[in-house]
Amino acid sequence: MIFKRSEIPGEDIRRAMEMTAKRRQLIDESPADPIVYEYGVNRLAKDLHPGTVRAKITAREACGADCCRITLESLAENGRFPYFRAGQFVTLSCRAGDSYLSRPYSVVSSPEDALEGKLEIMVQRKGIFSKYLIEQAADGSEVMVGEPSGDFHFDDIRDGSHILAIAGGSGVTPFLSMMKAICEGSEDFRLTLIYGARTRAHVPFDPADFADDRIRIEIILSEEEAEGFRHGFITADLLKDCMDDDTSVFMCGPDAMYRFVRKELESLTFDSSHIRQERNSVGDREVAEKKTFRLTVHIRDEVCTVEAGNDETIVTALERAGIAAPVRCRNGVCGFCHSRVISGEYYVAAENDFRRAADRKFGYIHPCSTYPESDMEIDIPAVTV
Amino acid sequence: MDRYDVIVIGAGNGGLAAACRILNSGKSCLVCERHNIPGGFATSFVRGRFEFEASLHEFNGIGTPEEPGSTRLLFEELGVADKIEWVQLRDAYHLISEEEGYDFVMPFGYEEFAKANNQLHPEGEKYIREFFGICQQIKDAMAYIGETKGKPDPKVMMEKYPDYLACGSYSVNEAFEALGYPKVIVDNLNTYWCYLGADGDNLSFLHYANMIYSYFSKGAAIPKHRSHELSLAFEERIHELGGDIWFNTEVVKILTDSEGHVCGVRLRDGRKIESRHVIANCSPHVAYGKLLDSAAVPERALKLTNFRKLAGRGFTVFLGLSKSAEELGLRDHNYFIYDTSDSVKQYASMKTIGNTAAQATVCLNNALPDCSPEGTAIVYMTTLFTEDEWSKISEKDYFKVKNKVAKSMIERFEKATGTNLQDHIEEIAIATPETYARYTGHPQGTVYGYESQYYDGLMSRIQMVEEDRFVPGLRIGGGYGERLLGYPSSYKSGANEAGRTLRDMEKEGR
Repeated sequence: MIFKRSEIPGEDIRRAMEMTAKRRQLIDESPADPIVYEYGVNRLAKDLHPGTVRAKITAREACGADCCRITLESLAENGRFPYFRAGQFVTLSCRAGDSYLSRPYSVVSSPEDALEGKLEIMVQRKGIFSKYLIEQAADGSEVMVGEPSGDFHFDDIRDGSHILAIAGGSGVTPFLSMMKAICEGSEDFRLTLIYGARTRAHVPFDPADFADDRIRIEIILSEEEAEGFRHGFITADLLKDCMDDDTSVFMCGPDAMYRFVRKELESLTFDSSHIRQERNSVGDREVAEKKTFRLTVHIRDEVCTVEAGNDETIVTALERAGIAAPVRCRNGVCGFCHSRVISGEYYVAAENDFRRAADRKFGYIHPCSTYPESDMEIDIPAVTV
Repeated sequence: MDRYDVIVIGAGNGGLAAACRILNSGKSCLVCERHNIPGGFATSFVRGRFEFEASLHEFNGIGTPEEPGSTRLLFEELGVADKIEWVQLRDAYHLISEEEGYDFVMPFGYEEFAKANNQLHPEGEKYIREFFGICQQIKDAMAYIGETKGKPDPKVMMEKYPDYLACGSYSVNEAFEALGYPKVIVDNLNTYWCYLGADGDNLSFLHYANMIYSYFSKGAAIPKHRSHELSLAFEERIHELGGDIWFNTEVVKILTDSEGHVCGVRLRDGRKIESRHVIANCSPHVAYGKLLDSAAVPERALKLTNFRKLAGRGFTVFLGLSKSAEELGLRDHNYFIYDTSDSVKQYASMKTIGNTAAQATVCLNNALPDCSPEGTAIVYMTTLFTEDEWSKISEKDYFKVKNKVAKSMIERFEKATGTNLQDHIEEIAIATPETYARYTGHPQGTVYGYESQYYDGLMSRIQMVEEDRFVPGLRIGGGYGERLLGYPSSYKSGANEAGRTLRDMEKEGR
């Protein structure tokens, strides 16, 4: 025997034999008070991530030639929307006719507005859901608002102290939120916005609303020359003029803009790991021959069948059939729609494939970025309310 | 079907293992999971071009197919072993402790580790061999106790396992003091303390010695496709065996009948599912405080739950770096960066936000070179908080505080290793106690279940496991179970509770 702590013979072993009796005694002496299970940490987690929040449309205001600003009021018990990082998006969803509709929109209002129960999004007049929100939904209509999500926001560890924000069209939305957040003090960084629009009439915001030493705004018009505005394209010269040596680039706009600006940044030998771009929704795809397949869909113990075109994502087909599928980002990234393939062939474009390695190994998909290539049987999670 | 033989609440490690064992016996089983994927902590997430491991640093107890560890044997029994690809780790850890000036790498392997201690002390190997001798006896004694179903013959125990009995009541610090090893040897052996999260004055020596012996003698491994691979392997097995898993499905009540026996569960949408047996893969705090009606919870269950101490609340910084591990100068998988090797001091410093005196950091590419694109690396650094300062933060301050803590950890790592990470951060994600509370529902964002306390350690919990259950038809398994925290423990706990449930069913004659 090697181990000995007590000098008293047999004492070490006696102690060991008494461990459970001692534990039993300590339990006996513990209070029989009711168990607290709502802790501070859990409460804050719940405030930040309450799940879907019910809200109603309270105002719609045209801004610029083709955008509309929609104000939502929280119908949550606490009367608020969760606090968020400026630049994040929310997913709105509701039933419209026989379909179930949902779309992600960048928040345009500020984090502090959310605590006041107000959330604003800016919607371009195109697409089924945007048209529904702008034209068909009545004032006071209810929509479900998902949690603010995504990592298209400033991070003081990852990013430079200066953000060069490059936007086109309604892609300016996250930056409007960031600028408002800087002005109100909930975010603190320098931001230069380069915004490309066709004409002055297409600019959906007033630069005067963001008067702050940390903010600089350059608007560049492609189809009009006007005083106080630049004209032409977002060239390397302009980018260089808007940069310092502690700059990270954020981009939000059409894919064509990303390609163009990336080329210009490359000519400046800008480190591409400091470029972030917000991803656009995965839409329909071009197919050589349009085919229709049959999807057998399991949700818990319910089974239904849906027709799906090979040119549309599985989520699009589900929603058209009125099935409430869990979906958030619609661009393959967030994994909220993570589903199991029981059988069938499918296609995910490499640039939209953000599945985990094990998902590929075991046959799981993100239906929002996946197209059917045969009849399929899939198992999707239920939508929680 | 609205009736199952067994309902498992929660598809964490314990729940998944429990479901497989139930289904293996031919019973029907439904697993209800609040989230949209299985695994609980055993998961991963994607940011940009990086897939981050959510929690696993290294997996103990797998061994190799030729020399299987206890968890591999369990996985074989449950039918998931062939679904998982493991990669063995080369070294145990790289310890850097400022106070003592330690900066060394320790290898895995009984012989290799023993010899490596000669670098630390001229007689290091001798002490380690003696220590390993005690460890082997502890391991054999525990196996014997298991074989006798918890009723060992005292005579056999006295004759064959006297060291097991003699050190059985002591803490890590008490036991090492009695063994009288030099400080540097003890400090080295104490390195893994943060994997159990209780300081050396509280942590049971038997438990700790058994764990580190398994690490050093059997080595550790990591699944090739992150721990999400483990979780999906279990999910696939559950489907193969005809079981059901429902995601986005929260159980809000465990229902009991007039005799106080479990009779089913109620889901958030109001639907009821009947079952005489529930295995809850959650904390007893949640089971007794929330899921059961208070009338169904006996006084002693309240006393036991109030007696427990919540263990460390987790905090992890995940970095996707735009330089390779080699370019960054990171050669090791596991780094332990300590201000001091004194676990009592480290534990005390974890009470407050702002001072991260200890971190366990992984550079995943040194185990899995292809885990991120060429020219990039994944680094994640974890620490614990031992009290509840995170519950006092307002939502407006939350993002600022978490970045401040993360930054201090990155800087601490850079200083200790002489590397520059901050200029190459392409992606960052930070998990706080709030994050863990959100994804697991655990009180205060605890990641380690109930802390191993002097009188609430592994051996006394195992011996009192039947005494610690109160509601007929309800078993609670997982990281809060009798085997305490960690991947192998939570799988084993879940499987054990399933075995006990099957015995309960047999007794009922159903």
